[in-house]
Amino acid sequence: MTNAGTVFDIGYQRYTDRREGRGRSRRAIFKDGLRISLGLGRGPRAKILPFFFIAVLAVIGLVFAIVAGAAERMVGPGAAERLNLPSHSDYYGIASIIVFVFAAVVAPELLCRDKRDGVINLYLVRPITGSDYVIARWAAFLAMMLVAVWLPQAILFLGLSAGDPKPIEYLQKHWLDVPRFLAAGIAIAIYATTLAMLTASFTSRRAYASVFLVGLFVITTPFTVGLSEEIGGSVGQWISMFNLTNIPVHVNDVIFGQVSEVTEDAPARELGSAILVSWFVVWTLVPAGVLWWRYRRLSP
Amino acid sequence: MATEHTVLSVDRLTKQYGDVVALNEVSFSITDGITGILGENGAGKSTAIKILLGLLQPTSGTATVLGQSASETVSVRARVGYMPEHDCLPSQVSAAEFLTHMAEVSGLPPAMARTRAADTLRHVGLFEERYRAIGGYSTGMKQRVKLGQALVHDPAFVFLDEPTAGLDPAGREDMLALIRKTHREFGISVLFSSHLMADIERTCDRIIVLQGGRLVQSGEVDQFTKETETVFIEVDFNREALLTALERRGVVVTVERTGLTIEGPDESVYDHVRDALVEAQAPLRRMAPRRRALTELFEREDAA
Repeated sequence: MTNAGTVFDIGYQRYTDRREGRGRSRRAIFKDGLRISLGLGRGPRAKILPFFFIAVLAVIGLVFAIVAGAAERMVGPGAAERLNLPSHSDYYGIASIIVFVFAAVVAPELLCRDKRDGVINLYLVRPITGSDYVIARWAAFLAMMLVAVWLPQAILFLGLSAGDPKPIEYLQKHWLDVPRFLAAGIAIAIYATTLAMLTASFTSRRAYASVFLVGLFVITTPFTVGLSEEIGGSVGQWISMFNLTNIPVHVNDVIFGQVSEVTEDAPARELGSAILVSWFVVWTLVPAGVLWWRYRRLSP
Repeated sequence: MATEHTVLSVDRLTKQYGDVVALNEVSFSITDGITGILGENGAGKSTAIKILLGLLQPTSGTATVLGQSASETVSVRARVGYMPEHDCLPSQVSAAEFLTHMAEVSGLPPAMARTRAADTLRHVGLFEERYRAIGGYSTGMKQRVKLGQALVHDPAFVFLDEPTAGLDPAGREDMLALIRKTHREFGISVLFSSHLMADIERTCDRIIVLQGGRLVQSGEVDQFTKETETVFIEVDFNREALLTALERRGVVVTVERTGLTIEGPDESVYDHVRDALVEAQAPLRRMAPRRRALTELFEREDAA
């Protein structure tokens, strides 16, 4: 007896099952955006950068947790606070430049390659609009950024809880840090994602977008710091507002109710919470609007 | 077998870019089958296709596909496929992954999208190569992937923009065979744009000819072929005498550099040619049917 089977060519089969419409299309582009962000389904080189940045951000959170835990064990309970060791409120300030470089290097891949390869032309003849496409891509990278910025804070929280001699008391005392770091993480992720995606929308070359963004973040910091100190007064405070890496960190400070190590010397913080938050909203909504408009016009 | 009904309709369609008129009051409709849209570069073929796909808004007039205007509702695009002329494939992913993704973007559930992608790649002849990155494919294979992504969601109608561009003769033959198969076996209606009359003639049932944004001609390919056929005659000497003898018999002749061309020959013309050759005592060197070149056809329409 033989188990050998026979393959019959039944010819072309029409698709008669359910078509799920625009919702499915948007989810497909979102899912693809996540895969591009992580380099999944692509060669090994495409995975190096995203996983490297996620690992670096996580390691920073881990180091904070280990240092604080060691201080608690070696110096005594409450040592981490007394020694003013970096914690949840400081994390985004310290890691912000890595978050921005991560966004600058990885986010353009979600838009630039589609334009460069011409795949965007295939998306636009599917049952979606240009707005659907860019919102799904933006949301995909935002989701990726949220994982990248929340993961180290979660590690830090678990580390601090576990490192404390009285973990339950620690949790009761510090549980509010969780919604705070989640909210502050949303702020920094939205800001970095939107600026990076907007820049990417102007070019089909990922390298150009990345270099421009890294340059923008790296150059504005020393420039605005130096100029604001030199000029001083309210003009100096407003010049300090143009330090692009500090814009979401000020929001982080407002959320945590304390100034982080990165922004404690920034003249801008004297302008008040309402102005700092409004400034962040402007720097997020305007780029988001321009990004949306650039893709919306692709569909008549 | 698909029944004949209108799948696409264009009524007084006009598209202007400033002072430039890309399409000028063009009207036509297409029924089930393979329709060729023929025209030189800049004739308005791509503009017409982009309007039909909803990528451009017409200046005036209407364009509907499957009874709906694609610029007013994107849902109709779930039943339409498009194979662009230019590059449109990601280099880093495999054909299987790409087609699965495009099927999902067209609204198919993930499990069905995977099945359809594998089936479609088999139908376009890429089943064995489906897990290789597209960047490593030859031009012919890439054209097949382009066709595959246009078919993967099982459209009722597919636009193919210059599908044989860049292919070698064997690849071109294969692509034309696939296009014929797309309608005859898969039951999908096709609008096939090209500037090569031979491709259209061998593949299409009907033809639409555009020139300078105007509709020059439309109809059955057989009729069109008949109208554009000529017979070329070359003799060793006494060409003038042959010309006179043919004209006396009422045959329309065009004088060319090396011979004579007879327009739209029917069966009786061959008898007249035989008699004229004898009368003029012109030794025949060559007599062959020939197709009028596209440019000549347009020149003739312009003159008309």
